[in-house]
Amino acid sequence: MVLYSFYIFDRHTECIYSRRWTPRPTSSSGASTASKSTRPTSSASLTSTTTANNNDATSAPHKGLSHADDEKLIFGLVFSLRNMVTKLGGSDDTFLSYRTGEYKLHYYETPTRMKFVMLTDTKVPNLRQYLYQIWANLYVEYVVKNPLAPMEHPGGVGVSNELFERGLEAFLGAVLPA
Amino acid sequence: MIVSKSGGLIYNREFHTGLSKLTSNDYLILAGSFHGMHAITSQLSPAPRIPHITPQNNMLAPSPFPNRPTGIEVMESSHFRLQCFQTQTGTKFLLVTEPQQPNVDTMIKKVYELYADFVMKNPFYTVEMPIRCEKFDRGLDGFIKVRG
Repeated sequence: MVLYSFYIFDRHTECIYSRRWTPRPTSSSGASTASKSTRPTSSASLTSTTTANNNDATSAPHKGLSHADDEKLIFGLVFSLRNMVTKLGGSDDTFLSYRTGEYKLHYYETPTRMKFVMLTDTKVPNLRQYLYQIWANLYVEYVVKNPLAPMEHPGGVGVSNELFERGLEAFLGAVLPA
Repeated sequence: MIVSKSGGLIYNREFHTGLSKLTSNDYLILAGSFHGMHAITSQLSPAPRIPHITPQNNMLAPSPFPNRPTGIEVMESSHFRLQCFQTQTGTKFLLVTEPQQPNVDTMIKKVYELYADFVMKNPFYTVEMPIRCEKFDRGLDGFIKVRG
């Protein structure tokens, strides 16, 4: 089972947290990718453009698209898929996941319209439960209940704190055996 | 639903009325937007492409179709499941079923077969135009009845 990336979008369509796990190092890209995969890089959209660029150079999964573009594309995609699902299935229907030949996208939306999106490989059962737990046990505990965090998170301020990151890492390590 | 390679809806048929009623205009919009989303999902692929070179493949002539990333194949929601099958020429077959429906894959291939037999071989059919073909309709009816 392979995890590719994880995103949180707030209700203002902004990506407030994103995290990528570099895919398995291929033979063509050398030691730099290998060392990277042991320590996954994470960036809360604003903080570091340099690491994002580095990632692009070494493991470029698709050409010409930056990670910021990716976030926007994913948001737009999820948004329109959700609209399509409510149109077809009625207003109480919710979009769960989709799968292509290469990857699978899991989706969870909180009652406050925050969107949790996770990209994995195709052989994973639905992760909605886990996304819910990330929201309930990690996001609410460490971000919402943090007195220093702002109400809204423009540019990801206040989301990428150490406790949340470590909690996320531990949680995913525990429930998703690699 | 059948969507042509340019994103237009060319065939639409409801068998059971489980889903909410939509006007034909709504279906056109849905088909068009699905076409766009399909293209985006194939762009987003995070995994490096794995070349499909197997011993059997090496014997054959190289495929004329490049190994493109596929777009959405299955989409799940809490009430239904949407299976998408794209032919090599870009026509998309969309099948909306219940979440627990088995063998949707073979069903959609069968529909493709019917399409090839009764629509593509019909001399009066112009490509990219809405399908109005009685035999195809009847073939679908028979196939769905046997199944359901």
